[in-house]
Amino acid sequence: MDKVLQILQEIRPDVDFLNEKKLIDGGVLDSFDIISIVGEFNDVFDIDIDVEDLEPYNFNSVEAMRELITKLQNED
Amino acid sequence: MTFTSFPFLLFVAAVVLVYYLVPGRFQWCVLLLASLVFYWVNSHWLLLVLLAAAALTYGAGRAIYTVNDAGRRCLKEQGAALSREEKKLCKERTKKKAKRILLLGVLLDLGMLLFLKYHNFFAETSNSLLGRFGLTIPLHHLLLPLGISYYTLQAIAYMVDIYRGKYEPDRNFGKFLLFMSFFPQLIQGPIARHDQLARQLYAEHRFDYQRLCYGVQLMLWGWMKKLIIADRLAMPVDQIFNNSAQYSGLLVFFGAVCYGLQVYTDFSGGIDVARGFSQILGVELAENFRQPYFSRSIEEFWRRWHITLGAWLRDYVFYPLSLSKTFGNLGKKARKTFGTSFGKKLPAFLAMFIVYFLVGFWHGPSWKYIAFGVWNAVFIMSGILLKEFYEAARQKCGIREDAVTWRVFQMFRTFLICSMGRFFSRAGRLTTAVSMFASVFRNTRDLSFLLDGTLLTLGLDTANWFLLFIAVLVLFAVGLLHERGVRLRDAIAAQPLIFRWGIYCAAVLALLVFGMYGPAYSKTAFIYEQF
Repeated sequence: MDKVLQILQEIRPDVDFLNEKKLIDGGVLDSFDIISIVGEFNDVFDIDIDVEDLEPYNFNSVEAMRELITKLQNED
Repeated sequence: MTFTSFPFLLFVAAVVLVYYLVPGRFQWCVLLLASLVFYWVNSHWLLLVLLAAAALTYGAGRAIYTVNDAGRRCLKEQGAALSREEKKLCKERTKKKAKRILLLGVLLDLGMLLFLKYHNFFAETSNSLLGRFGLTIPLHHLLLPLGISYYTLQAIAYMVDIYRGKYEPDRNFGKFLLFMSFFPQLIQGPIARHDQLARQLYAEHRFDYQRLCYGVQLMLWGWMKKLIIADRLAMPVDQIFNNSAQYSGLLVFFGAVCYGLQVYTDFSGGIDVARGFSQILGVELAENFRQPYFSRSIEEFWRRWHITLGAWLRDYVFYPLSLSKTFGNLGKKARKTFGTSFGKKLPAFLAMFIVYFLVGFWHGPSWKYIAFGVWNAVFIMSGILLKEFYEAARQKCGIREDAVTWRVFQMFRTFLICSMGRFFSRAGRLTTAVSMFASVFRNTRDLSFLLDGTLLTLGLDTANWFLLFIAVLVLFAVGLLHERGVRLRDAIAAQPLIFRWGIYCAAVLALLVFGMYGPAYSKTAFIYEQF
């Protein structure tokens, strides 16, 4: 299984990440979840997600999160 | 000129009239003038503090943007000739320079708030610790500028957002001053973000009849909450809290419940008036409440209560602290000592604790407010830490997650915790709050106050208690409908003309007949206006 999805499902097993497209705008993930997700992404993908990246559009869906990770990996 | 006064009603009517009579490009000028007049009438020369904060924030915003822009342009022009390391160095240098201006702006804005609102608190605390060594700081009777706790947060958010490159700063100081001083939301929020509010304030708006109706409905609902419920509840609440030594047991708890309801109807009522009036002008203010008393946990409660303050603290305190290198290093050390799971959570826990400490401190310069913040932080953190334990216990008892009884139990539990926390925010001092808290557990079985006439000695007669009961039932019913996704104003708009006007007339009549005013009652200020 894709690593991003695996991390997300470990943190919030109750959420349908494949179909949910409003994870932040719809209030599905809270700030504590976001910090857990960011911590895992930073460790696993060796990136540095900054506070400026914590915008809803970067975390509303799995696709958006993958895009953010790819962008930060390319920047490094 | 409070939101519930007759002059305010006349002022609002005059502003709306002029606003829609002048050409659209001057509408923002009308709002600015009205905001400055409103501020002057309420605070006189303290208007200068607001002007100073606005000028400082405007200047800092422009300076931060200029530095960032110069850095961006430099990279664009010379980018091809620079190595990867040189580009990184250039970015870091620009960031450092912009950060210095940001820090200066934040410190000055915050300094004004800390000095004017918290000077005596710091002085008293310092004097009690260092007074014996002859080090004393004199106390001053300082007047607090109206809305300083709200517009300072808006100003900080504006500077940080520009630093983060979220949007460009305002080029027109007059327009920026309007963003800082927009009078409906200046007194008690909602705390606005520049990218959500400013464009609406500067835009041209055409008169819209439906918007007028929706706005008036929301204002009427806000006034009903404030004048019929909150101001009526103020009497038993004042009686119990101001004479707390006389009472014990469930009556004291009843006082805390009444205060919880009072503060909700008072604060959300004021916000409804602000949002309703703004809607008439074509400006949508952010939502500040989402039926908080239907929350199933304290964490959820704070996501539904004073939403804009919570969002501000999340974006400008919680996230930066949680992701900071210092907190990250603490987390790494904790992983080695206490295990991976706790180590990962530690940075967020620490940041959350600081956030709720600040929630308390923001409310006022007193230890009781800090205790109020800590009380909430403890329950939120224990809720997260013990989540798996609660989950296992629920499953062992064979209770379904979505069972109505379980949901009602969770709501009731949250309500109890919130109500007990109210002792800290309402009692005169922290020691009084603690003794009231303890007195709840004396005579806990004594419910006689409900029937022996004690209630009638708290400032309300039978008719007023009955009216209050009915009004709270209506409030609950409306909350329940909102919870179920019913949009009441849309439903009213779909009704025939006679029905709609019947509702308006009934609401106005209810306000006139059941609202708390007249020579027998002292005018009650909005609770959050004082924060």
